[in-house]
Amino acid sequence: MTERFPHLIVAPVVLPLMTAALLLLLGQKRKRAKSIANVGAALAGLLVALEILHGADAGGLSGAARVVLMSNWEAPFGIVLVADRLSALMLVLVGVVSLCAALYAEAAWGRAGAYFHALFQIQLMGLNGAFLTGDLFNLFVFFEVMLAASYGLHLHGSGWPRVRSGLHYIAVNLLASSLFLVGLAVLYGVMGTLSMADIAEKIALVPARDRGLLHAGAAVLAVAFLIKAAIWPLNAWLVPAYSATSAPVAALFALMTKVGIYVLMRLSTLLFSAGASAQFGGTVLLYAGLATIAFGAIGLMASMSLGHIAGFSVIVSSGTLLASLGMGTPAVTSAALFYMLSATLAVSALFLLVELVERIGSDGQRRVPDLDVEPGEDTNLDDEEAPLVARAFPVSIALLGLAFMVCALLVAGLPPLSGFVAKLSLLTALLSPRGGGHASAGAPVPPAAWIFFGLLLLSGLAATISLARAGIRYFWSSGGRLPPRLKAVEAASLLGLILCCILLTLFAEPVLRTTSATAAGLHSPKAYIEAVLSMKPRPGPTRPVIDEEAP
Amino acid sequence: MPLAALLLLPFLGSVLTALLPTRARSELAACAGFVSAGAAVWVISLFPRVRDGGVIRETISWVPSLGLDLVLRLDGFAWMFAVLITVIGALVCLYARYYMSPEDPVARLYAFLLAFMGAMLGVVLSGNLVQLVVFWELTSLVSFLLIGYWHHRVDAQRGARMALTVTGAGGLALLGGVLLLGHIVGSYELDVALASGDRVRAHPLYPAALVLILLGALTKSAQFPFHFWLPRAMAAPTPVSAYLHSATMVKAGVFLLARLWPVLSGTELWFWIVSGAGMTTLLLGAYIAMFQHDLKRVLAYSTISHLGLITLLFGLNSSLAAVAGVFHIMNHATFKASLFMAAGVVDHETGTRDIRRLNGLIRSMPRTGALALVASGAMAGVPLLNGFLSKEMFFAETMFFSAHPSVEVMLPVVATIAAIFAVVYSLRFGYDIFFGPPSTDLPRQPEEAPRWMRTPIELLVLSCLIVGVAPTISIGPSLAAAARPVVGGTLPEYSLAIWHGFNPPFVMSLVAIAGGVLGYLWLRKHQEQGRLQDAPFVGRLNARRLFESALLGLTRLSRRVLRLAGTRRLQTQMFTIIAVALLLALLAARGVPLEWGDRDRLPASPAFVLLWVIGAVCAVGAAVMAKFHRLIAITLMGGAGLVTCLTFMWFSAPDLALTQIVVEIITTILLLLGLRWLPMRIEGISRPVTARDRMRRGRDLLLAIGAGSGLAALSYAMLTRPAPHSISPFFLSRALPEGGGANVVNVMLVDFRAFDTLGEITVLGAVALTVYALLRRFRPPPESIEQPHQQRAFPADVVTDLVKPRTAEDAARGYMMVPAVIARLLLPVSVLVAAHFLLRGHNEPGGGFVAGLVVAIAMLMQYMVSGALWLEARARLRPVRWIAVGLLLGAITGLGALAVGYPFLTTHTAHVRLPLVGEVHLPSATFFDLGVFAVVVGATLLTLTALAHQSLRAHRRPTQSPASSTSEGTS
Repeated sequence: MTERFPHLIVAPVVLPLMTAALLLLLGQKRKRAKSIANVGAALAGLLVALEILHGADAGGLSGAARVVLMSNWEAPFGIVLVADRLSALMLVLVGVVSLCAALYAEAAWGRAGAYFHALFQIQLMGLNGAFLTGDLFNLFVFFEVMLAASYGLHLHGSGWPRVRSGLHYIAVNLLASSLFLVGLAVLYGVMGTLSMADIAEKIALVPARDRGLLHAGAAVLAVAFLIKAAIWPLNAWLVPAYSATSAPVAALFALMTKVGIYVLMRLSTLLFSAGASAQFGGTVLLYAGLATIAFGAIGLMASMSLGHIAGFSVIVSSGTLLASLGMGTPAVTSAALFYMLSATLAVSALFLLVELVERIGSDGQRRVPDLDVEPGEDTNLDDEEAPLVARAFPVSIALLGLAFMVCALLVAGLPPLSGFVAKLSLLTALLSPRGGGHASAGAPVPPAAWIFFGLLLLSGLAATISLARAGIRYFWSSGGRLPPRLKAVEAASLLGLILCCILLTLFAEPVLRTTSATAAGLHSPKAYIEAVLSMKPRPGPTRPVIDEEAP
Repeated sequence: MPLAALLLLPFLGSVLTALLPTRARSELAACAGFVSAGAAVWVISLFPRVRDGGVIRETISWVPSLGLDLVLRLDGFAWMFAVLITVIGALVCLYARYYMSPEDPVARLYAFLLAFMGAMLGVVLSGNLVQLVVFWELTSLVSFLLIGYWHHRVDAQRGARMALTVTGAGGLALLGGVLLLGHIVGSYELDVALASGDRVRAHPLYPAALVLILLGALTKSAQFPFHFWLPRAMAAPTPVSAYLHSATMVKAGVFLLARLWPVLSGTELWFWIVSGAGMTTLLLGAYIAMFQHDLKRVLAYSTISHLGLITLLFGLNSSLAAVAGVFHIMNHATFKASLFMAAGVVDHETGTRDIRRLNGLIRSMPRTGALALVASGAMAGVPLLNGFLSKEMFFAETMFFSAHPSVEVMLPVVATIAAIFAVVYSLRFGYDIFFGPPSTDLPRQPEEAPRWMRTPIELLVLSCLIVGVAPTISIGPSLAAAARPVVGGTLPEYSLAIWHGFNPPFVMSLVAIAGGVLGYLWLRKHQEQGRLQDAPFVGRLNARRLFESALLGLTRLSRRVLRLAGTRRLQTQMFTIIAVALLLALLAARGVPLEWGDRDRLPASPAFVLLWVIGAVCAVGAAVMAKFHRLIAITLMGGAGLVTCLTFMWFSAPDLALTQIVVEIITTILLLLGLRWLPMRIEGISRPVTARDRMRRGRDLLLAIGAGSGLAALSYAMLTRPAPHSISPFFLSRALPEGGGANVVNVMLVDFRAFDTLGEITVLGAVALTVYALLRRFRPPPESIEQPHQQRAFPADVVTDLVKPRTAEDAARGYMMVPAVIARLLLPVSVLVAAHFLLRGHNEPGGGFVAGLVVAIAMLMQYMVSGALWLEARARLRPVRWIAVGLLLGAITGLGALAVGYPFLTTHTAHVRLPLVGEVHLPSATFFDLGVFAVVVGATLLTLTALAHQSLRAHRRPTQSPASSTSEGTS
């Protein structure tokens, strides 16, 4: 532990918490101060996350998981925060998306209702905490923090679609939380411990007669995460909720499905990498993930409105990640991590864009042609008999159009942006199950991988068709159009997300190196377990000596 | 890095033109033209290096771990394509300057044209198969944008979408195929792939890879059955059609066929798919082209047909045919681009492209007419023009092709028929519009096109002539250089002479020309009489319509599937979740032993059993009544909660019991307060219960029983286990010596797992804020606004000694007087009790949570008996501040440990000796607990005020005095 700030990994939790408290103290009137505090805290969060990633990525291939003992109690007994590469990557993702969402919210949404900023920060606290914690019950707490804030944020701005989908969202998540608790209780009943690392170490020691109960508990627990990760058929809540809520919140919510994925990724590799329960649930994840991709692709084909398209893209990306998780090989996991970064940023950008695009007014002269009806026979190519004159796009629409195109490329995984690199890395990893990057000749490919391969390509096609349809509808067909008012902060936040994707494209190689190190670390969790369990509390006045042996 | 610079140049030009003023068309054209011309000169200057089979390659590292690097590779074949792309690009830029209307904001057009040029150069320069796909998809995308250039037109939108869908789908298939190919050969490098043709053809994955790659190539080159997008793409401005949809982009498909010819060709499968598609397209395209009336569509179908010819040549598995294919690529690009430009001149000058309306244009535009005639001669395959040469080679290939006898016979016949058709449509294009009596009803008076608009056509037609007259000198070296890499390094013997003697191919040419002229005359006669306006036999089989309805059907189908596979109903979602959880838990426990534990069972005592029976009845009753009588349901829930509380007591958990009871009280009261504002249950909707309803209810009941028993089984299994590795003994042994408190539960809350507590109080705060934010905008439904029955017992005009509480400031003035006095007297007592709980919490039952709830209950009572107005006029409650301060207190206490070098939330107990009191243990955890207390008070009060203010709003509205209702009293 020779890093610069040993306790820095508490900051992603404490910083938003204190910011939220200060925001509440600021009162309703001082809008400017609140805006500055919110954006400033998000920026600080991003910087902290980058520093943590820097620290986590420095420690060679085995990786140095940084561990901090909360309240100075060692691992199985107290709560630990662990920042390994995966957690750090997720923190950076939260940092980037939250900064852009916070910036975007300053244009209008931040002032639309009560306590937006405070709830926003609490949501960040929940997200960060969930990514950092190494304790299952603490994970539940942070899930609750995240969800409690998300209820408020989702309903922010009111209106019946929000309230309606919001109440469904709350009900589903309450049920999910109950399942979480049930699973947790069973797991604790069998294992007698809540620390993830401790469970991972002791899971091999579980007597055979307890294994059934252990598996049942793990399955119930997994259902809670699968709901969050939007697996089919447990994802009907997602599209109405995400498309109804305000743009910055939707962008933030794109992160929340990734929490479910993250936890599944963390726990499945930690608990079920080896031993008698190895690969537990892998098949379910794989096939349900594939079904989720198919469901998402069908949803994309069926959707006309951009909000729904964005929602179904979240589902497609969730399905992709779950299926990759189900494949259970480091190469696929590494590719999936890259995909997760790219897809999250892209979908967040798309959510921000939805609202801006829908702002493009029409002067009402022309009916928007409904692309859902079959066109008449042969439209004459030359019916006006005058030289055709194109319509110039106003600058704001041209910029939005460009941004939309970039988002569409990213979401559909078309070249040349990071969406394509991500998809390519997944496809390559599927074809070379033993890893090694380059297409390794000759190795047999399992049948599920072929289905996955085809579905990835087909979902890309569905996204292309759907996004082209939406693009034509919003940018080309809307008759004489009134340029939307585009505020600088909105443009900046959108640009920020897109820029991150472009950077991800340009520096795909170093990022892939990090993700493959992350995946390697995940699939051989020994280092993680040791780092957590070997962390000793600092001796102090009330705890003079630490006896090696647990009572 | 000559190639990298060459590739980058058009993209830079694209950005530059996008930034120029959008209507400065001369500047834009000059900028784009010079960029393309510069690129062209650059490419041409590289010829000596690729002339004799040399290859220029450059590598720029991008994602080496995926095998995806920018490998730029220029051999003779790529060089030929690069020349076509840049030279025709430069000519098109010049042409577009005059073609586009002066009002048109053309910056976008030029920017896209240059971007396309870059993308297309990227395709041909790719030395990496994945990189080729990258640029391939880029060309599709730019083509989409260019077809939709006049985006306000529906045909442009549809054409663009169709092109993108077809070529985009093909691109994805190509990606899959390329990945398979890379999987087979072990690398995505083109050179590696080119060197391992035998290995690829022998691999079991070869058919899959081949089909996928061919899907890409055939969609891009508009081959049957994917040909329908190309005529629709004619909605693009004519310069775009000339450039993308005849000369370059549609050639990308045949480019790929040629590029991978050494790897993939030579098998039966290749022959049947490629030459089959090519032959069908050749014939079909030429056939439909004869019957078109729009100049551009004649050319579009003719392009399809010629691409079919090239495809067929590559499909024949003969290297001589491949050379002919390469040759025809060049020839077709030159004469077809010039024809498109000529068509553009005609519609620019006359205002129409309808062949039936255009006649005798040679008088008004002699030069354009002459150029168009020469170019259509090349298209028809007239001797001394370049089209003739490649067509002769094609005929020769069909004659000397040896395969199955039926194919041997069919091939020359088909070739001749297609050639006859080609002569017919060339005559329709050339002869029909330029000769005959001049039209009089044209939208505009035709006149000769501007000089510089004709220049690009002149240059192209000139090259047709030169190649046609002196092929060996003019095109020989380039063709050799271009064809060599395609056939794998060694060129077959071929002769570019104009005259090969009186041999079968020449006879075929003669037959074609003669037959074509006769056919044209026959067709014209019929068409003048109004017959044969549409292509017979295939007119009904409209691939475009099939595509549109397929897409539409797909959308509808997905909606139907979505309705089946997804739901918008909460009930269904809940059912699914519980069913999945049950199913997965059962599945997970399958195959491994699942037994009860062997921990000692406690004997059941009758009293406890009775208690639990009561609890169970309450719980089930609450569930039953939830739908019919909410008040009873809530009351019963309270009953179940009480039983839980008593159970805690029974098992000697006083702390839990204490917390449980206050939580029960407060939640029940809040629920009851909220109940007031829910809409009434609508009685009297009676629908006969159908069998389906019964089935559904039965299904739900089964699930409920299943999930309930599953949960019970889980609990039982869990409770009967001893948990040998449990961490709980640790807490019991360390709480006092190291945690500094005798109350283990409290020490856990504020020390062992204080981090959890910090999170939990945050949850509490967030929930309260949410409730407040939601209810702030909420307006109760009209039926709830009316005063409840109890308060309406007396009409307003009846004199009574009861003061109507709702019209008075102080609700307690009326019948609430006595309870109000008691409640007010209880307030200080409650605060004292709370303080007691808070302070003793570390060692005995109590703590910040319970203390906070006690205070909250006391305040709640004040609200209930005195009313919000009275209370808030006298006490400034600021619940949000309570929450904020509590959270801060918790966080700062935690950070305090950091200051002295300990981890977050580490506790420390200070032993202070105070006068009078004596020794005091002051753990830092007390401050933390104080934070918990503050948050609990704040959160409960905030929820309470949010509910209480509903009543203010609801009753203010009828009396219309909203001004005074704004005092919401919070923060």
